[in-house]
Amino acid sequence: MFKKINLWHILLILIVLSAIVPILFMVSNSFKTLRDSYGTMLNLIPTHPTIKNYLLLNKQVNLLGLTWNTFLMATIVTIGKLLTGLLTAYAFRTYQFKGKMFIYLLFVATIFVPFTIVMIPNYLVISKLNLLNNIWGVALPQLCDATGIMIFLKTMEKIPNTLIDAAKIDDIPKRKIFFNIVIPILKPSIVSVGAIFFINSWNEYVWPTLILKDKASFTLPLALQNYISSEGGTNFPLAMALSTIMVILPLIIYLIFQKYILNSISNSGLK
Amino acid sequence: MHNKNKKILPFLYLLPTAILLIVFMIIPIIYTFYLSFFDWNLIAPTKEFVGLRNYIEVFTNPVNQKVILNTLIYIFFLIVLNFLVPYFISLIVKFFIKKMQGAYKVLFFIPSLFSLVVGAMLFTWILNPVSGPIAYVMKNLGMTMPNWSNSGILAITVICFITNWKVFGYNFILLLTGLGSIPTNIIDAAKIDGIPKWRLIWNVILPMNRGIGIYVLILTIVQGLQYVFTPINVITTGGPYYGSSNMIYQTYLNAFVLYKTGTSSALAIVTFVVFLVLLFIEIRFVEGKAKKYV
Amino acid sequence: MNKSNATIELKNISKQFKKNTIIDGMDLSVKAGEFLVLLGPSGCGKSTTLRMIAGLEEPTSGQVMIDNRDLRELKNDGHTIAMVFQDYALYPNMTVYQNLEYALKIHKVAKDERQKRIENVLETLNLTKYRDRLPSQLSGGQKQRVAVGRGMVKKSEIFLLDEPLSNIDVQLREKARDEIQNLHATNQQTIVYVTHDQLEAMALGDRIAVMDQGIIQMIDVPENIYNNPANLFVAEFIGTPQINVIEVEYKDSNVLFNNKSILADQNLNLKEQKYRLGIRPENLFCSKERQNSQDLELTVENIIDYGRFVQLSLVNDEGLTLKSIVNTFEFNVNEKVFVHLKKATSLLFDYEIGKNLNWGNYE
Repeated sequence: MFKKINLWHILLILIVLSAIVPILFMVSNSFKTLRDSYGTMLNLIPTHPTIKNYLLLNKQVNLLGLTWNTFLMATIVTIGKLLTGLLTAYAFRTYQFKGKMFIYLLFVATIFVPFTIVMIPNYLVISKLNLLNNIWGVALPQLCDATGIMIFLKTMEKIPNTLIDAAKIDDIPKRKIFFNIVIPILKPSIVSVGAIFFINSWNEYVWPTLILKDKASFTLPLALQNYISSEGGTNFPLAMALSTIMVILPLIIYLIFQKYILNSISNSGLK
Repeated sequence: MHNKNKKILPFLYLLPTAILLIVFMIIPIIYTFYLSFFDWNLIAPTKEFVGLRNYIEVFTNPVNQKVILNTLIYIFFLIVLNFLVPYFISLIVKFFIKKMQGAYKVLFFIPSLFSLVVGAMLFTWILNPVSGPIAYVMKNLGMTMPNWSNSGILAITVICFITNWKVFGYNFILLLTGLGSIPTNIIDAAKIDGIPKWRLIWNVILPMNRGIGIYVLILTIVQGLQYVFTPINVITTGGPYYGSSNMIYQTYLNAFVLYKTGTSSALAIVTFVVFLVLLFIEIRFVEGKAKKYV
Repeated sequence: MNKSNATIELKNISKQFKKNTIIDGMDLSVKAGEFLVLLGPSGCGKSTTLRMIAGLEEPTSGQVMIDNRDLRELKNDGHTIAMVFQDYALYPNMTVYQNLEYALKIHKVAKDERQKRIENVLETLNLTKYRDRLPSQLSGGQKQRVAVGRGMVKKSEIFLLDEPLSNIDVQLREKARDEIQNLHATNQQTIVYVTHDQLEAMALGDRIAVMDQGIIQMIDVPENIYNNPANLFVAEFIGTPQINVIEVEYKDSNVLFNNKSILADQNLNLKEQKYRLGIRPENLFCSKERQNSQDLELTVENIIDYGRFVQLSLVNDEGLTLKSIVNTFEFNVNEKVFVHLKKATSLLFDYEIGKNLNWGNYE
């Protein structure tokens, strides 16, 4: 019995290692010289640690600008999705109206819409709006996502009806109910959903690829793409330095809100 | 006044979402459907009506046929790597170990935080046939590493592994949560009846968890096919000779590289129809599931 | 079916959860074919005890013996022990019939035998009509019967039941209780039955083990549990309304309350000190006139008419509150009542630890 349990742990720890070790090598290599990155490939601790890669990277690309662009896009998307999601979920929770079920299924359906089917028209709309190479232009199509609505709906379902009824009997206006009762109860899920939105948008690749062509408007994933080539001619220490910069913020957010984030993800799947 | 407010207010709340959905989803879907009957190049002032020709091309053009076949191969790999493996591991963590369940959850999830571009970069390094660490170890063992980017099927495998690296923890958590909602008393009852664990899992646990199982399975296909877009575009751009392209990537290539919006739109519509079938299954089994076991 | 031969014995069992002691050095032996009830308030460790007998929890120390063999060495063939859970734990994806059949099928009981047993149990429990229903299509009472049935078809030597009646309607509970009693009468299995309901315990148990704070406070036949509780906890836990407890002092062959004698006995072998006197409400003898100089004088504060009997709440200005059960309607609120106590129907407990002192007689 005891031995068997240990065997499963070996398998699980192997999975953990395959998830984590590549990231450790990424950080390690970003502090290695190009020659060390080939010569002492399997050393996790750099033999001649250096920050040259970061300095060189900063010369080749506008690191601050890239980070700012990415941050701005992710912030706009996060705030936009939180606001629309909360309002919609609240309307669903408190009002009865015709076509509710239909609209709900429409939200479910958005998960099944491949981006390829909206890709061309959205590109045309953004270019008509003169928003190509613009952070707003790359943020707008990302706002169209119902997953936030679904998570908020599920959390709001847990608010007891009697609580809302009690507020109604006390004749508190609905607007106040929303801001003084619903929002505070939802706070943990707002934080975690916000964190998930931010991280997803920070990593977003598809829409930036379509909308951002001018290097000055690039986000971090697009910049990183330029450092990768399948032929093997890549300067990996540089690419890894840029990747390391890219993963810091999501990692910090995860470290702070880890428990909430995992809870929200669990809830998003529970039907 | 008050009454009027009551009727308008919910729609006011719904308005921002409605505008976004209509402008960036519903109208575009209709427009893409419209474009699928025309020959156009994204720039020209006129479009030529061609009827069903774009659709016929989707199914008759050898490149597209290859891409459809690739899509099926992708689906197979995605189901195995991103659904069956996480499901198996979640069963292990739930029923076969007692300690560290929380730690595994936290650690498995970490790669989900990172961009697929980072994943693509890491795996091109690890699997670099000349200078990567695996090639290095193999060389020391007297073996040579195949140049996987020259083979469609190997490239597809690598690309699926990259998405697996990112998605594994996410799907694992969804499935584990589903298993966690199964009452422990049922598991205890089976223990007393001396029912072997795997029998119990097969006969009771999996049927009980069917709703979430199907949800994650469908998500794996629908999102997986879109997730692989990133590593394809970053690493292989669909090559060698469309060997690692799938319907999603081919749609993109046709629109923004080959400037054939007609073929692109027809491909998109076909993909969407397939997804809609999956959506129908999801609604049938998942959204309606709650009633059955209460 | 023959009387079960299986005995259960717990030897110095302790169970800790994260440094909290749930069970503390418990010894318990259940005779073959006995119906033993574990009774106690929630959190007293009775369910944990049952789960350790079932092998679902490992004791932190001590031994569980089934038929004089260590439970850990017994192979779980799904035949020795059957258990019914509080929320039934039916397999939700299987019909009633499949629920009963599942364990038998896994353990390769022949098909004919299986069918015979299941039909039999369905018949006994009045479930034949529902054989093809899923648990979600059954009422609470029906689910409970299926859960019992699932245990019955195994024809196990030992049958464990964890509060099986607590989730069904009061009206159905008595019927279900009778059913379980009949089952035991016919099948003679060794049964351990957990409940917090004293009426259930009194009605069902051959013996009752009253538990509190991880310790068996008393184990005996129902009659003794009620009439001669081992300590104050048992006395107070069993019986509604609760037993009356009066702080008294023993001095010069007299039991004194507030320095006035309320009972006298020359032949007591007791130290002169404080005690607690327990009197069941039906053993307070009330009358409208003083009969004896030792009678307590109280006033009727309120009267509750339960139909079959009347409950009086009596108070006096010395801070005493007593509950009395009488069969007459002669008393009125705010009237004086004189209460007479008899030694034979009163219990004397140690002041500090609450042990029943048997009026100083130790056998």
